[in-house]
Amino acid sequence: MKILVVDDTEAILLLISRFVEALGHQALIARNGQEAINVWRQEQPDLVLMDVMMPVMSGPEASVQIKAEAGATWVPIVFVTGVGEENALADAIERGADDYINKPVNFRVLEAKLKAFGRTLDLNRKVREQSQTLADYYERAEEEKRVVRHLMDQMVNSERLADPQFDYWLSPAESLSGDLIAAARTPGQALHILLADGIGHGLTAALNVLPLTQPFYSMTEKGYSITDILFEMNAKIRQVLPIGRFVCVSLISIDEVGGTVEIWNAGMPPIQILDQQRQVVRVCSSSNLPLGIVPSHSLDLVPERIYYKQPGYIVAYSDGLVEARNAGKAEFGLPTLLDSLSQSDDRQMLARVQAEFLQFLDGEQHHDDVSLVVARFGMDVQAAKTELEVQAVEARFDEISADFNLLAECSWRYSLILSAQELRYVNTIPFMMSFVKEIKSLAHVQSDVFLILTELFVNALDHGLLLLDSAIKTQPDGMEEYLAQRAERLANLQEGRIEIDLMGLKYKDAEVLKIRVKDSGEGFDWSNAFQTPVSHTSHPSTAFGRGISLVRALSLKVQFNGLGNEVEVYYLPAPSPKH
Amino acid sequence: MTPTVQIEGSVGRVILSGQFDFSAHREFRQVCESIIANADIKEVLVDFQNVNYLDSSALGMLLLLKEKIAAASKTLALVNCRDTVKQVLEIACFGKIFTIR
Repeated sequence: MKILVVDDTEAILLLISRFVEALGHQALIARNGQEAINVWRQEQPDLVLMDVMMPVMSGPEASVQIKAEAGATWVPIVFVTGVGEENALADAIERGADDYINKPVNFRVLEAKLKAFGRTLDLNRKVREQSQTLADYYERAEEEKRVVRHLMDQMVNSERLADPQFDYWLSPAESLSGDLIAAARTPGQALHILLADGIGHGLTAALNVLPLTQPFYSMTEKGYSITDILFEMNAKIRQVLPIGRFVCVSLISIDEVGGTVEIWNAGMPPIQILDQQRQVVRVCSSSNLPLGIVPSHSLDLVPERIYYKQPGYIVAYSDGLVEARNAGKAEFGLPTLLDSLSQSDDRQMLARVQAEFLQFLDGEQHHDDVSLVVARFGMDVQAAKTELEVQAVEARFDEISADFNLLAECSWRYSLILSAQELRYVNTIPFMMSFVKEIKSLAHVQSDVFLILTELFVNALDHGLLLLDSAIKTQPDGMEEYLAQRAERLANLQEGRIEIDLMGLKYKDAEVLKIRVKDSGEGFDWSNAFQTPVSHTSHPSTAFGRGISLVRALSLKVQFNGLGNEVEVYYLPAPSPKH
Repeated sequence: MTPTVQIEGSVGRVILSGQFDFSAHREFRQVCESIIANADIKEVLVDFQNVNYLDSSALGMLLLLKEKIAAASKTLALVNCRDTVKQVLEIACFGKIFTIR
């Protein structure tokens, strides 16, 4: 230790400082209070042995000054007192001195006291170091949280959450949420909603769910099915998270054009399907392991499919909502949630649940992240259809008369030929969409191009090569049957090929997209199916009719060639929005 | 909660109690490590008899345990899962990768 010895008597000063040095410490000396302060400022000793009565400045005065300057650093001050100085001593100890030793100094006692202070000083230093480290950690953690929060805000893309088709509510337990809600639309306008819950809450949970966003957005934009997206998300989670970390996920797809809802639930509470009166008509329980535990190929990624005839609601939530407890340890519970949903009207469902939840908690904090999504289906379908048909009726008749076959010059061309073997596994349309996205004149009409391509491709594959009968679809449970047959026939497809051409044709000032799809099948009697003009196909009785009329409504011209196994579609992109 | 261990022959039983969540992380890990290090134990049972609550971080701990136990060539089963515990394990579909009795 570095010890400052203060005394105005030279002999005592010498005696004590020598003794201190003999014990292996470093001794500094001062002859009065003022000197003591000066030396202390320069040398910052660990401990001070201070005389009480001294000229210039007394020991107690100096010790008050030193204690004040030392601040949070503890500098033990031990008074060396003569007889008759008890009052001054008591006063000094009250004002912050730490101990005293009587004159004449008993060196055995002094040695013991120095040892004791040495131990306490060590302890004190350790505590201060630890609290400093703790403060550093705290600051760093806060900074990290800030960065992650920013990152999450960016990646979650709240703009796309502002979709009239659903409402959501997310209330984190800490500053960061381990629940994630994301939404995006495919080029065909199907709405994908992702609700995910990482382990725990706060930073680690937030980090767990972040890897989901990238595959979700990019694959949805290209029109991949939720099965494909889940495959990628699981692979991603397994790749980036350590063992023991996983993410509960529900992924919902609402396709208003096709009238289908697809739901896949892994580890999230049962998703409730409500009818228009907000009564539960169906429950989609978790039937899968959460993402990140087993390899993608051992997961059953086929979603539950619902073909709806009536409008309704999908209610998805995290366990933090139903398991929240108030001061009385009661659980909010699913019945309360369903009850408050059934008692509210359409636009207020979420607000009502929020209000009841707050009332239930009654000022208590919830300890897990709370999230809730209420999505509507079947409500906008009439509007969507009408819009499409109005557009169709207003079709550009002058342009239909133009003979596009003369437009042989194309500014670009993209051709793709797939044989049976590739058709079995290539996800053709999303693959082509990544090209379409790059073409400037098409970037803003991806959705139309996606719809047309999908319809033409599905016709070529399902009817041209797989020889499926659309009539199956109209039977009860027909859609399931149709898809099952389709999967089976596709898996066994041995022969056949499909050619797809995309061409950019210059027409007046615009670029017209020509799409040609040809399959190696036998074709069909297109003249029969194609007689009715567009305006009369507004109530197609079969899904097949709907497909073709959709393409006709979107494009300038649809032309079947030869046997009907080749179709050409001309599409004029709407002018791109001005920036 | 403090997990306790009962060893009967080649079977090691980890008995949990109360709330099984992140606060039990350290004790659970220590107990599991001791059981894994014990070469005489061939089968590990995690007993949920006295557990009234289980959260997702507990599921994470079970996954880690499963991994370590497999690496040590022992077998693992979750036993006496009732009520809430059973419900949580069912929602997470852990029956697909764990033996639950």
